[in-house]
Amino acid sequence: MMKNLASSLTYQGIPVWRHIQVLQWTSQIVSAVVVVVLVLWFFANIGRAIQDRDIPYGFEFLSRAYQTPIGQHFLPYESSDSFLYALGVAATNTFIVAVVGIVLAIALGIVVGVGRLSRNWLVAKIATVYIEFFRNVPLLVQLFFWFYILLALPTVRETYVLAGGVYVNNAGISVPWPTATGAGTGLWLALAALGVAGGVIVHRQRTGREVATGRPSWPLFFGVGTFVLAAALGWGVSWAAFGELPLGISQPVQEGTFLRISGGFTASAGLLALLVGLVIYTSSFIAEIVRAGIQSVGRGQTEAGHALGLSSMNVLRQVTFPQALRVIIPPLISQCLNLTKNSSLAGAIGYSDLTNVAKTMTQTAPAVSIFIIIMAVYLAMSLTWSLIGNYYNRRIRFVG
Amino acid sequence: MAVERHTPPASLPPPRTEVGLVGWAHANLFSSRQNSLLTLVSVVTLLLALWFGLRWVFLSADWTIISRIGGFFFIGQYNTDGACPGNDCFWRPQASLLMVTALLGMAWAVAGGGVVKRIALAVAIVAAALAFLPYGMERMGLDVRLLLVANLPALAAGWALARYTRLGSARNVVVLGVLIFLLTLVLLRGIEGVPGLQPVQVTDWGGLMLNLLLAISGIALSLPIGIALALGRRSNLPVVKVLCVVFIEVFRGVPLITLLFMSQVLVPLAFPEDFPLNSVLRAAIVITLFSSAYMAENVRGGLQALHPGQAEAARALGLPSWQTTLLISLPQAIRNVIPAIVGQFISLFKDTSLVYIIGMLDIVEFSRAFIQGNPEYLARAKEVFIFLALIFWIFCYGMSYVSRQVEVHLGVGRR
Repeated sequence: MMKNLASSLTYQGIPVWRHIQVLQWTSQIVSAVVVVVLVLWFFANIGRAIQDRDIPYGFEFLSRAYQTPIGQHFLPYESSDSFLYALGVAATNTFIVAVVGIVLAIALGIVVGVGRLSRNWLVAKIATVYIEFFRNVPLLVQLFFWFYILLALPTVRETYVLAGGVYVNNAGISVPWPTATGAGTGLWLALAALGVAGGVIVHRQRTGREVATGRPSWPLFFGVGTFVLAAALGWGVSWAAFGELPLGISQPVQEGTFLRISGGFTASAGLLALLVGLVIYTSSFIAEIVRAGIQSVGRGQTEAGHALGLSSMNVLRQVTFPQALRVIIPPLISQCLNLTKNSSLAGAIGYSDLTNVAKTMTQTAPAVSIFIIIMAVYLAMSLTWSLIGNYYNRRIRFVG
Repeated sequence: MAVERHTPPASLPPPRTEVGLVGWAHANLFSSRQNSLLTLVSVVTLLLALWFGLRWVFLSADWTIISRIGGFFFIGQYNTDGACPGNDCFWRPQASLLMVTALLGMAWAVAGGGVVKRIALAVAIVAAALAFLPYGMERMGLDVRLLLVANLPALAAGWALARYTRLGSARNVVVLGVLIFLLTLVLLRGIEGVPGLQPVQVTDWGGLMLNLLLAISGIALSLPIGIALALGRRSNLPVVKVLCVVFIEVFRGVPLITLLFMSQVLVPLAFPEDFPLNSVLRAAIVITLFSSAYMAENVRGGLQALHPGQAEAARALGLPSWQTTLLISLPQAIRNVIPAIVGQFISLFKDTSLVYIIGMLDIVEFSRAFIQGNPEYLARAKEVFIFLALIFWIFCYGMSYVSRQVEVHLGVGRR
């Protein structure tokens, strides 16, 4: 009887429990069913919890007024603005820190990474110590360190005033900042943008000429020159047309009974500590990536460059670095992504980034909906980074 | 005819500017004008940094806050009145430390020296040295000091046990390690009704102890989960592949801190109300899953770099596919990405400091809360965070040191 059953359970002449296709399909169906059941169970539980415990849900809250102040913000914001707008303000805060941080971290990382490979023993050692120290200390500890150093500065009342109207105190650093004056600003910006386009065209043309004729044509000089000329011309035109300078300067001033600082641009202590911490921490990782990239380029390339009479700086810029980029770009992109995600530690030092604002919002709005929104925002950000990385990767890979 | 003997003239010594200290400095510091300038700038910067740094460390800084926090760095509020009425719980983390040093002693005997020996000695000596810190006797009692000193005999006992009995094998050490970890959890949690083992809420665990517990469980579990995910992502079964890709990309795309916070707010809703999940367990699970998503990508990199000939040869020898993966592909793939894997372990350890978001008082958050709660120490925050940086640095640098030793041992890059 048993034997009969076993011999009848065959598929294409092979017992089913040994047949690769049967096994593959069974395992896939089982895993799919397990995952679907788990997810359904979670959602059923959440649904029940929402009903039983009267937990608010849905997305109606987005148009309600948020009515909570946000510390530092780059978009204009008032407490009467809606939840949706407040989320946008918070996302902008994250975005600005990410962009500024990435630019500075890459610059610093390249300097330190090249420094680690320097033939100067002292420079190489200093760069090594820098990398090994900052890489191995949690970002949170570094953020707290910078933050508490800034907090130890004098209060706003007894603020330091540096030359040029820069105020330094434990609320942050206030600097003079350009402000728009009206329609003239738009005209000037438009003309300056035209100048950028013109500069790019001139740069391309000059580069083409240098490649074609071999005579130095100073592409960078002429390109930047075009832009500066256009910007200056635009400044004059806008001034003549509207009778006022296209940009004003807003000076920070101390006023009122509390001697608060208004005007200019104030970077709060949280923002400064976050930027300094993120840049130093990430640059130590980028430095290692840069070092590995440069080391991946064959020695012969450097030697050939020297043999052609190029200076060390030019060998690095024209020969080694372009080739190293192939190795550098993919991990560099993932570091950019890490910096963006690490900026979510901002809440610990009182800077209102997306995560921090979302965390505060859960007190007055449905947590489930807020989490769906911020997960979507972060996933979109990381997807954007990967797309940029993949695009760039395709452009610079070997043409074989 | 006399044979003219040609004796080569004795070679001159190299010029004095090319050998010795002068030659070294010439080659490494002053080889060109730019290089000399660079050296000069670095020396000036370094001297200025040293001058102000050392002056601050020895003159301005007030390190009393470190001894004021003292044992709290290591166990947080575990032994305070709120967590452990009677304040007699300090011996429990210490007992588990003793077990760990004994285990390290065994591992030393099994490995026969090398990096294991250095780690074992370092842990035991540092632990014993802590007993001699100048720290008020009433705040660190004699029993605490004795238990710390006991780490040295514990190390010796473990070593002797493995050396002279049949217990000493690598397998036993691993099994004992798992047992000790579980025993530590029970010991720290306590058992209802047993005298001397009064229960302590897991939310009262804290300090470096909490960081280490989260890191050890995360490291031990995220590697196998990560390997499974990497294999799933490379599998040719569409359903399995899609599930793994979605898991990996979602966990990699969202900041850990957001996930941790979600684990606090959302996860309790997703389980029935009486489901036994506490916040530490949830944090441990989230940290482990987050880390295993990254681990999966590292392992996948190693698998991709492997020459397909390896797997083909194994199949040609008649190995079934699971044996090909387990015995041929994975060992080579993992060997190639040891630095990335250890880098992820280091990341995980550093990330344990993020549990502040769910209100756990780990070593960083406890120190921060202490500073906030005692405004007279606000100006001394720098000292505390430098101390914390040093502690984390020692652990993280230690891990990367071990990884380099393991690589040398496995001959990566030489065969």
